[in-house]
Amino acid sequence: MLPTLGYGRQTPKIGRCQVGDLLPPRSPLFSGCNPSVFRPFVGNSSRLLSPLVLTPPCAAMDEYRVRVRIYAAVVLTTFLILGARVAYLQLGGGPSESGSINGNAVRERPVEAARGALYGRDSTLLADSRPTYTIQLTPRYFDESKIPLLADLLGVADSTVVRKLEEAREWSAFRPSRSFREVSFDTFSRVQEHLYELPGVSHEIELRRRYHTRAHAAHALGYVREIGQSTLRQLDDDEYRPGDYVGKTGIEKAYESVLRGTRGSKFVLVNVHGSEVMPYKNGAKDKPPAGGYDLHLTLDPGVQALAESLFVGKRGAAVALDPNNGEIISFVSKPDFSPSIFTRSVSDAAWDSLRSAPSDPLFNRATRSGFPPGSTWKPFMSLVALQTGLLTPNERMDCPAGYRLGNRIFRNHGGQDEGMINVKKAIEVSCNTFYYQLMEEMSLGAWHAWGKKFGFGQKVPLDIGQQEPGLIPDSSYFDRTYGRWGEGYLINLGIGQGDMSATPLQLARYAAALGNEGTLPSPHFVRKMVHPRTGEVRRPDVPAPEEIPIDSTHFETVKEGMHRVMTDGTGQWVQIPEIPSAGKTGTAQNPHGEDHSLFIMFAPLDDPEIAVAVVIENAGYGATAAAPLASLMAEKYLKGRIADTWQRRHWNQRLRDSVRSAPPKGFRRGAPDSTTPAPGDPPQLNTEIPADPAPSDTSATTTAGVRP
Amino acid sequence: MRSWKGNLDVWTLLIWIALVTIGLVGLYSTTHGPAAEYLSQGVRNNFYRQLLWSGVSAVGVGIILLLPVRILRSLAYPIYGGTVLLLILCLFVGAEVNGTRAWLALGPFRLQVSELAKVGTVLAVAQLLSERHTHATKNLGYALKAAGLIVIPALLIVLQNDAGTALVFFGLVPIMLFWSELPITVILLLISPAITGYLALIYMPAAIGFAVIFTLGMWWTTGQRLIGGLAATFTGGVAAAVAFVLTKILQPYQVNRLLSFTNPDAEQFREGVGFHLVQSKAALTSGGLWGMGFMEGTQTQGAYVPEQTTDFILTVIAEEFGFVGSLLVLVLLAGLLLRLIKLGVDVKHPFGSIVAGGAVGVYLLHIVINVGMVTGMLPVIGLPLPFLSYGGSAMIANTALLAIVLNTHMRRDDLSIYGY
Repeated sequence: MLPTLGYGRQTPKIGRCQVGDLLPPRSPLFSGCNPSVFRPFVGNSSRLLSPLVLTPPCAAMDEYRVRVRIYAAVVLTTFLILGARVAYLQLGGGPSESGSINGNAVRERPVEAARGALYGRDSTLLADSRPTYTIQLTPRYFDESKIPLLADLLGVADSTVVRKLEEAREWSAFRPSRSFREVSFDTFSRVQEHLYELPGVSHEIELRRRYHTRAHAAHALGYVREIGQSTLRQLDDDEYRPGDYVGKTGIEKAYESVLRGTRGSKFVLVNVHGSEVMPYKNGAKDKPPAGGYDLHLTLDPGVQALAESLFVGKRGAAVALDPNNGEIISFVSKPDFSPSIFTRSVSDAAWDSLRSAPSDPLFNRATRSGFPPGSTWKPFMSLVALQTGLLTPNERMDCPAGYRLGNRIFRNHGGQDEGMINVKKAIEVSCNTFYYQLMEEMSLGAWHAWGKKFGFGQKVPLDIGQQEPGLIPDSSYFDRTYGRWGEGYLINLGIGQGDMSATPLQLARYAAALGNEGTLPSPHFVRKMVHPRTGEVRRPDVPAPEEIPIDSTHFETVKEGMHRVMTDGTGQWVQIPEIPSAGKTGTAQNPHGEDHSLFIMFAPLDDPEIAVAVVIENAGYGATAAAPLASLMAEKYLKGRIADTWQRRHWNQRLRDSVRSAPPKGFRRGAPDSTTPAPGDPPQLNTEIPADPAPSDTSATTTAGVRP
Repeated sequence: MRSWKGNLDVWTLLIWIALVTIGLVGLYSTTHGPAAEYLSQGVRNNFYRQLLWSGVSAVGVGIILLLPVRILRSLAYPIYGGTVLLLILCLFVGAEVNGTRAWLALGPFRLQVSELAKVGTVLAVAQLLSERHTHATKNLGYALKAAGLIVIPALLIVLQNDAGTALVFFGLVPIMLFWSELPITVILLLISPAITGYLALIYMPAAIGFAVIFTLGMWWTTGQRLIGGLAATFTGGVAAAVAFVLTKILQPYQVNRLLSFTNPDAEQFREGVGFHLVQSKAALTSGGLWGMGFMEGTQTQGAYVPEQTTDFILTVIAEEFGFVGSLLVLVLLAGLLLRLIKLGVDVKHPFGSIVAGGAVGVYLLHIVINVGMVTGMLPVIGLPLPFLSYGGSAMIANTALLAIVLNTHMRRDDLSIYGY
């Protein structure tokens, strides 16, 4: 490549010596070859150069040649050293083999994966992710003379920018602070166009949940919130960084790993001013984010929205299931909150007020509040009695106004005496004394075992959230709680009162099992998970339903009784027009004040498609609050709309306008009713338990008008 | 007439063209790539200006090649005197750039006189040493005169506060004297303080070790106590002086500045010189073997490396064309220097060989200091890389020096061996 640099060897005679050779002997130059003239300026020893040059006779000639070689050698050595140094720096001697990807010029910018969307039962979009735009300030690089320009672009006062700059500086002078959050896209675009003249200003696009439905479904969907320091430490997971949003409750939490997707990265070149110059290698190294799966839920947004709107001013819960497969059609817990408030950064004050609100909107009553089931318990008692032979379908038993146990009398509501009735009638008229007798004949052990078989007293297999198991006591419970106890402690269990409780979710599952004649479905929210890009479909693992070992003929008997409730009994005013249904009201006494209003139902009667359980705290009769609400929900689900009859209009209006939960007495947060009576307290032995309908004079909040 | 045109060394010209082209590619990349946005308008035009200066230099090569050697020789002292006068003038009316008063404004152009002074000095020293009728350097007078010819402009340049260029002049002293047959012992004695000083800055025990070995070596080789004593004084004295200056005279921040190149990553150096070096080294590392590609350099296109059109042009080439690119530059430069040595040898006349040796010395010092600085082996001393860095004066001066060597080589037969 390069010419041979052949001096010296290839030029046999070079330099001055050659010149000297050509010269006449007397030429002054020739003397250069004379060793006697060649004398170092100090001393006289030719040994001075002896190691370096050839000795005379022609020292100068040889010396010159040697000097050329030395010079060339110095040049070569110098370049070898420089080349070695450059090679060391460029070929792996540096900090990383992968070049400067970790260097300060290439920055890795995380690209958030879009959180999976949530779709309703009818494929309407409930929630998806929208981009929000944030303008960041890095005080160290910010040019203060640009304050007016930035303020102008953002449409804020100069002083605001100054303040934000100071706030940012307090946090870090060198790291970008999210100073202006959720600016509009127009503002964002304007700022972006001027980024080149705004050193220290950068932008960020974040994805936030956006909700598209009138229904909150807050306790079903849950919410996503900026990850906290403690959670971050707990997770100890590289996937999460400060500022990430993470599902905190409900479906968002349970399906976090599915919804979340995988964060991608974008590599950009950042110049010395910290502004992005261009994509690194045109994005060749970028990792696109992988979006999370979209969840197709079982929730029916229409039913959900209706139920939530009817729940106005009330505390309580409603759960509606498809009895055939356990799909949750509606899941209401009130009071609630709008999940969308968590999509912007919630101020601590707002968060605290939400958390400490006495009504506790964050508390999921559908799964965590246990209520005495009241008369909704009577179908259970009937089935167990029929199955265990305590009763035959047509056997008549007395339904006196009062029932004496020892020296105490337990009464029917209003002291009504129904005479000799069979079990269907007992359900229809909700005869307390009928069930006192059954309870007295039934052992606590059998009652407890059957209760468990119906899914009570234990957690329901559900894909989301925290649950309370409710209380189905056995003898050890009474031993533990009261030490000495007798039959009087148990008799109320026959009518769903006393030391027992069930969650609305358990009641809904129970209603479903009544409807489908003996199969306890596994409630679940997610039908399928669809990957938005690949179309891959995953289905959740739904636990197998549990069979209740009771003959279906007995179920038919009880269903007949519950059907009569809707046609002739306490539910007759809340029948779904044109659709035969079955239901049971419940009015539960409780230590917190006004009775709880309960209702379970399923419809249509023969091949039920929906089972509903509604509990409204301190709202009085089951028939006037919970029952119409459940019935309207079922109708909305089955027919898509509410029939335009005077009755339906009346209930609709009444639930919205006048049915309210009375303020609780000594409300204790997180303490489900009746599940934790203080030791030593006597059990609720009310000598007068209101069956349904209860006397209207006990109702403060339930306006009379229509007699249930 | 002899056909002297046939003696023109085409290889040297080709290497020159290659180097200038690589420099222009680097300049274009950094002034027209994404980094351009962060460069001042003045710097952005550097590519076109350098193109212009390259053209001017090419014309200059033609003109110089037309000059008979006799005229060159007779012009040696006038040129030298002229540049010295200009240097003095600079001190009074010079324009100041980056704290250095080295520029003379000529209409729209600014002339860096110290660059031209290199040409004048090399010519003058060559003329001086080739005038002698005996091996004149062997008596101290010629050596001192030659050294004086170099030191006068060097001191003027020190006054201009241009340490880098002054360093080249001082470095030229032993090189020129070596080339003109001053005893090697003396040359070694002259350069030993520089080596000791450098080692003393980096690692004092190494400097002391070098001083001891050098002194003993000189003593043993020459068998003279005087030489040994001088060696001990030069090396040990410098080591002691450096230690004294570092600890007693300089303020800590000045020491930091001086030493920052040894550990540019250290926290206390981040902001200043250390920053330059970290960035420069990062750019080299980023280049890897094959480089990031034209206009794709991450460090250089991020405008991280300061002075990347001038002194740090090598970082652009090294990052975008990788080790392959920087190796090509080094090979071309080494080839050019070795070729020039050969040309000097071919001339067979002291003037020609001393001019060639001087030119090689000038280039070598620039390259060592520049590449040493870019790769973090030397403190950051502003000095351009010959033929590659932006700078009209340097381009013209370096090319002129090259053309003079080419001319003496081409016309070597004109240099009468009886002519002096």
